[in-house]
Amino acid sequence: MLATIRSATLVGVEGRPIAVEVHISDGLPGFALVGLPDTAVRESRERARAAVLSSGLPWSNKKVTVNLAPGDVRKSGPGLELAIACGVLAAQDALPAGALDGVGVLGELGLDGSVRPVRGAFVLVDALARTGVTSVVVPHANAVEAALSGDVNVLAVATLGELRDCLKGEAAFTTVPRPTNTDDTGRGDDAFDGDLADVRGLTVARRALEIAAAGRHHLLLVGPPGAGKTLLAQRLPSILPPLDPHEAVEVTRVRSAIGGDPPRALARRRPFRAPHHTCSAVALVGGGSGKPSIGEVTAAHRGALFLDELGEFAPHALEGLRQPLEDGTVRISRAGGALEFPADFLLVACTNPCPCGLPPLRCACRPGDRDRYRRRLSAPLLDRFDLRCWVEPPGADGSRGESSAAVRERVLAAVDRQRARFAMTPWDRNAHIPPGAIDDLVDATSDASACWRAEVERLALSGRGAARILRVGRTIADLGGHEHVDVAHVLEAALLREDVP
Amino acid sequence: MTGGNDPERRAAAALACMPGITPARLAALFDQWGTARAALAAVRAGDGAVIACLEGRRTPLPEAQRIAARWRTIDPDAVVARCRARGTRVWLDRDECFPIQDEVPDRPRVLFGEGERFDAFDAPRVAIVGTRAATPSGLADTERLAGALAAAGITVVSGLAIGIDGAAHRGAITAGGATVAVVATGCDVVYPRRHAVLTEQVLGHGVIVTESGFGVGPEPGRFPVRNRIIAALADVVVITEATERGGARITAEHALEYGRTVLAMPGSRRNPAAAGCNALVADGAHPLLAPSDVFLALGLDAPTDVESVWDSAPPAHVSAAGRAVLAAIADAGATLDELCARTDRSPATLSATLRDLEAAGLARRERGRWWPV
Repeated sequence: MLATIRSATLVGVEGRPIAVEVHISDGLPGFALVGLPDTAVRESRERARAAVLSSGLPWSNKKVTVNLAPGDVRKSGPGLELAIACGVLAAQDALPAGALDGVGVLGELGLDGSVRPVRGAFVLVDALARTGVTSVVVPHANAVEAALSGDVNVLAVATLGELRDCLKGEAAFTTVPRPTNTDDTGRGDDAFDGDLADVRGLTVARRALEIAAAGRHHLLLVGPPGAGKTLLAQRLPSILPPLDPHEAVEVTRVRSAIGGDPPRALARRRPFRAPHHTCSAVALVGGGSGKPSIGEVTAAHRGALFLDELGEFAPHALEGLRQPLEDGTVRISRAGGALEFPADFLLVACTNPCPCGLPPLRCACRPGDRDRYRRRLSAPLLDRFDLRCWVEPPGADGSRGESSAAVRERVLAAVDRQRARFAMTPWDRNAHIPPGAIDDLVDATSDASACWRAEVERLALSGRGAARILRVGRTIADLGGHEHVDVAHVLEAALLREDVP
Repeated sequence: MTGGNDPERRAAAALACMPGITPARLAALFDQWGTARAALAAVRAGDGAVIACLEGRRTPLPEAQRIAARWRTIDPDAVVARCRARGTRVWLDRDECFPIQDEVPDRPRVLFGEGERFDAFDAPRVAIVGTRAATPSGLADTERLAGALAAAGITVVSGLAIGIDGAAHRGAITAGGATVAVVATGCDVVYPRRHAVLTEQVLGHGVIVTESGFGVGPEPGRFPVRNRIIAALADVVVITEATERGGARITAEHALEYGRTVLAMPGSRRNPAAAGCNALVADGAHPLLAPSDVFLALGLDAPTDVESVWDSAPPAHVSAAGRAVLAAIADAGATLDELCARTDRSPATLSATLRDLEAAGLARRERGRWWPV
């Protein structure tokens, strides 16, 4: 007797469809679980057996073999248990024939037969839907999340017994409709609401924040403690544009794969992550031994990553940022294959210029101390910031600036212009224009080009630095509603790339 | 003059190159034995009085014994050979051509010199010293002043340190004049590393003078001590920028003690690098308001065009916007935020003006602030 149940497992932030094949044959009683299961999956055998027996259902005394196909993918997490239990029941003919054809099954089992939620239901259901599954059986707690994908019927169950009754036709499945998009602000994002009007003075840094939000240019703020850098950076979410539909799906997938509270609606606001500087390299970038974990850079995908006290982060962690800052992905290579996590984030970082904590004018550090402090941030890392500003405390005459609403309007207009520009291309923001396409997409006047060449020579910029000035100039022009990048835009872009720290 | 033929010079050079010798210890040896030859003989013989000398200079006994033991092994011929190979000149304080002409307290007994322009000592000498944490304005003013003095044939003396000292040497060299650098390390040690090229240039356009023997590194205690030599070598001492506590003030204090005229450039109360100069003026130094003040202090006639050296009016070709920004910068460093507030313009409009000023050499940006230069 052979039964096959469709299920799925989480690999990184992707779902992989898994076929749970159960074979029962004569022979000494035994239970073999094969297919590269990890520890949690191997434990599923105990839980599945106890759950089946607790529900008053039969568990075979013969030789049971469970294969999780394909055999070269590591299966992880307890979410395959319900499928395994169903497979064992189906192989014993305890379920109606063909009841689970074209139906995916996801869920963890409790010893009493209750069905527990799984991590990453949104991603897993999406993966199953792509293989042609029409319905998915999910735990109650994951029902809304599973329904977000919209392509399949979502059947929610609370216990294994309920599932069997429903399959036999003795009870009706609880179906869950696709939710209309309620206002999902996302977990923890409310902590970073605030208005730009709360910040006094800091004219230049505000301008840089606006440019960063519009074109997704990485921003570094350098200044003594108490200057207002953190205050300003925490107001970034108030001026970030909302997620595009395809971005919303990506962010919801990542949120689903990370775990915690299952998302109840498609994300609308961009994630804003602010890890503490004691964060390890693995926690920041992802990876680690064993099952690769999801890092902060992936959690900040399509959103912003705020690193306060950049110099205090472990150097290893900072260097690990270089690849995602350039490519927008994190590639983790293992002996068993490579895993790619999305990591397209906007980096905003704050740092102090020197250890004494005084403004640069009154700095009491010896030149040796200052140099040593500078060396914590390597030149290649600093080079990846398009915008670098000095920030000093505003003083008594700092005036209250524009509110977030006013700035957001300009940012949204600039984003619209970029959307039109990049409609036929694989990129969506000025910061992502590759060097080869800059000439076409950055429409600079001939004066501006000449000025740019002069600036590059005067500041002795690398190729990367020169390209960044053009991209930032393009964003400045977009914010002003100009079609062409002019001399003033190039100069302002060069001005905002100060030599720090 | 390299000490080969003169046994006294040979002995003095050898003593000054002993490991662990300091100006104070050297003076003690000279005082005890009168001549370098006698002192050298005593040191090589392991005379107990050597240890007593060291103890008299507040060295604990075990360390004094260790030092005296090392001193026994000095090789005067090796020192002489090195001087010959490098072309190092050795001055003794009884020499006629000793760079310090008058009797000052704590007069150095031995001085080493290397370079191409030993005639630099024949001209009037002006020391220009200052802080390492100088502002771009201060550096620019120093460089121009040093250039004007050098062009008039005056030797510029300084300490080869980062900041004002470096600017002084650079200004003199650019104007084609002679400069003397008094360093705390041995002649063969380049410090600071950032000034490696400048050191070469000073050797080509002047002299490097030191009291320390070969191989001595930048030990912190040697810097205040070498400052007295700068003050002693100069006829007039000029401080362009100094913090309240620093080597520049020590040099000024020595200069006042030696009866040299001290000129200090007053600055804005907002500029920490002007605090030392302002305090010196309050203590009796002359305020340095124009380059001609230096010539006056030397008792010389100032060249006719010297006032244009520190011309603070912007040249005619600067635009009105540029003038407004320069006025907003005033003479203290201004952040971009402050400039935006003072000129009531956005960063976007200021950027072009600031860039033009920078290109014209009228303003410079450092650590987030704009300075007039």
